[in-house]
Amino acid sequence: MATATYPPPPPFYRLYKKYSEDSKSAPEPPPPIEGNYQLFGATYTTDDVLPSLEEQGVRQLYPKGPNVDFKKELRALNRELQLHILELADILIERPSQYARRVEDISLIFKNLHHLLNSLRPHQARATLIHILELQIQRRKQAVEDIKRRREEAQRLLKEALGTLDGQ
Amino acid sequence: MDIISQLQEQVNTIAGLAFNTFGTLQRDAPPVRLSPNYPEPPANPSSAAEDAASLAEQPKLMSAALVKAAKQFDLLVAALPLAEGGEESQLKRIAELQAENDAVGQELQKQLEAAENELKQVQELFRQATDNCLNLKKPD
Repeated sequence: MATATYPPPPPFYRLYKKYSEDSKSAPEPPPPIEGNYQLFGATYTTDDVLPSLEEQGVRQLYPKGPNVDFKKELRALNRELQLHILELADILIERPSQYARRVEDISLIFKNLHHLLNSLRPHQARATLIHILELQIQRRKQAVEDIKRRREEAQRLLKEALGTLDGQ
Repeated sequence: MDIISQLQEQVNTIAGLAFNTFGTLQRDAPPVRLSPNYPEPPANPSSAAEDAASLAEQPKLMSAALVKAAKQFDLLVAALPLAEGGEESQLKRIAELQAENDAVGQELQKQLEAAENELKQVQELFRQATDNCLNLKKPD
């Protein structure tokens, strides 16, 4: 016979005995947490933001500023990457023991590339939201048109029926 | 896949091609001659021919793949739908769309309520008509 090993339900279920008759007799649900919280021993934050490169200790290669021209910077970083790969090939032929600096440079470029792409994600999210709102507005307008048409149709049928009845 | 994920995949592909290129070349490279005093190792004739051929081909093929991947990345960057304007214009557009959405929602609600009222009226009339029909019908 297996003994039950599942945990019991949380004890505050008893507070909600009379909830169906009186919805004010039981406590309200707790408000949403703000700031940091602990979950299974790990600390999580409610403010999800992409940490900037300096915070991760990585040098930023593209110019900082309010509006970064993503396409230009991505293309520039791509060219830099190709040049560095060629440099690494040359160094390996001539002075093979000095590969470390070149490899570091290449990984720096990759980190910058990924950081740029990640900072495009909020823009993508807003664009998706705009698209969804536009679709919803279109659907609602369509629904309004449909309802208007059906109502007019119903009115017409009723008038017709009235006319038929009166004619009898 | 969306364009940003494709770009990220392409960056990882370029990285993979780069380290595969260097790794393969380093692994398959013949040993370097340190001094004219040390004799050359005895070359095996059967493997020498095919080794030399593939050793000459590999860098060409791998570097061609690398350049192709870089060009693909540039193509993807060109395909980015980045409308100029930045964050503020997007937020403004979102606010406008929300206001319009609310207005259209109100209109829809009104139309829906009116239609439901008319439906109730018609159902009531129909009920009365059928009741009258039933009452006037003589049971036989």
